[in-house]
Amino acid sequence: MKISPSQSWRLKNTLYSLTLGICKKCGNVFYPYQSICGNCGSVDVEKVKAKGTGTLLEYTVLYQTREGFEKQVPIIVGLIRLDEGLDIVAPLTDVEANELKEGVRVEAVLRRLRSDSTNGLIQYGIKFRVIDNAGNN
Amino acid sequence: MVSIVGSGLIKIDRYYEFSETDLVIEAYKNLILKVKEMPSSIDALILASTYSDTLSKNLMLAFKLSNKLGIKTSISFRVENGDNGGSAVLAAYSLIKSGIANSVLLIGVDKFSDFPSKYVNDVISYNLGNEYQYQVGLTPHAHAALLMKRYMKKFSKDYDYFTKWPLKMHENAVENPYAYLRFKVDKKVIMDSQIVAEPLRLFDVAARADGASVVLITSDELSRKFTDTTVKIENIVSSNLPLDLASVRINSVRDVAKKLSAKMSSNDIYEIHDSYSILATLELESLGLAKDGNGLDNLDNVNVNLGGGLKARGYPGSAAAIYQLAELYLHLIGEHPRGKIDAERGFLLSTDDLGNSSHLVALMR
Repeated sequence: MKISPSQSWRLKNTLYSLTLGICKKCGNVFYPYQSICGNCGSVDVEKVKAKGTGTLLEYTVLYQTREGFEKQVPIIVGLIRLDEGLDIVAPLTDVEANELKEGVRVEAVLRRLRSDSTNGLIQYGIKFRVIDNAGNN
Repeated sequence: MVSIVGSGLIKIDRYYEFSETDLVIEAYKNLILKVKEMPSSIDALILASTYSDTLSKNLMLAFKLSNKLGIKTSISFRVENGDNGGSAVLAAYSLIKSGIANSVLLIGVDKFSDFPSKYVNDVISYNLGNEYQYQVGLTPHAHAALLMKRYMKKFSKDYDYFTKWPLKMHENAVENPYAYLRFKVDKKVIMDSQIVAEPLRLFDVAARADGASVVLITSDELSRKFTDTTVKIENIVSSNLPLDLASVRINSVRDVAKKLSAKMSSNDIYEIHDSYSILATLELESLGLAKDGNGLDNLDNVNVNLGGGLKARGYPGSAAAIYQLAELYLHLIGEHPRGKIDAERGFLLSTDDLGNSSHLVALMR
């Protein structure tokens, strides 16, 4: 077994929703959420759900991949600035590389990530897709 | 003061007949041929090995090696800090500097060739954020590609610019008997090589292989027992600051360069962690050896990665840093098989794969 049910469950706020931490002391916005600020060490941290939208700053097409993700190759990977102001690196979905350009608006969607085997556990998680007709920012 | 008194290396290669322990034994045998006295009563064994547990299912390896080498040190432990083997150098240095130990056998070993790339890619991705980045299938290669693309835009560079690094590293490796890829390449081969993640190509990525390197480090008082040609570890400075992809900054390297009191010059020799051509570029710039946007423009005038770097000497996980330390030592005492370099000082920049955590080690003959 490569995918642990308890680990997947534990990551529900990270893999199934974009739950951010906002430090009330220094203003640091971070993902994934944790109860202490990685910038200043304050425990005065608010847990908020991100809007799930952002802007694509950069992207690459990954051809050399990992065990368990072979069928997804090539994987388009984006550097995304969420509307809350933080950057994350995440896979893009439902788009071809030749349709992409930097500056396009994207939104988080839930997609299948990988499975243990034909009958094994399936892990889901957040990827990003281009928002149709949103135009460029 | 802390002194390097000996080193033992084996050629980095694919060793299907050898385990990590076998590789270390071969490197150690090369060390004991060179020191005046058998290092049979060493105080500590520090092991730099990132992947020996996940790839070889081997824990307690430092303890096991201590017994297998017949040195039975009182202290033995493994240091894992991603590919930043400099953390093991710091641990060894600190033990002697603090007086806890008078002699430390520093060992680096990692082995990649036992498994196919896609499996090794998975294990190497353990270095990424575990909660999201690893889970969704990302790899360090994708991050390096994004960083490279940002750099190309920021400084208006095309891919041609990055070919300078593998060209130079392969040229350097030709004369290094410890190097994995001892051949020159031409620009066309680099430019036509397989795309790993656009714009990152095969020749922009460190060449994974197997290797073991050992370095014997002692207090000054003990050093003459082993050799008449020592190299001092003057200082080690460290930093943990995350890579800033959007701004194209490896902040931890800029930070260690700022913290180092010793002045670096073009007469010195350098070993840097070129996990990717883009990392080499940013490291040269962050260390102040080149201006921002010109990291690869002056390679013929900087003695950097004379052994071929991770690109062509090869990349055996965190053992890379122990190779770098051993080769700097050999250069500074004038005994590197590549030939003599007129340098009194050497600097080792050790980082993880993406430059989040750095150590800068200053050496003096």
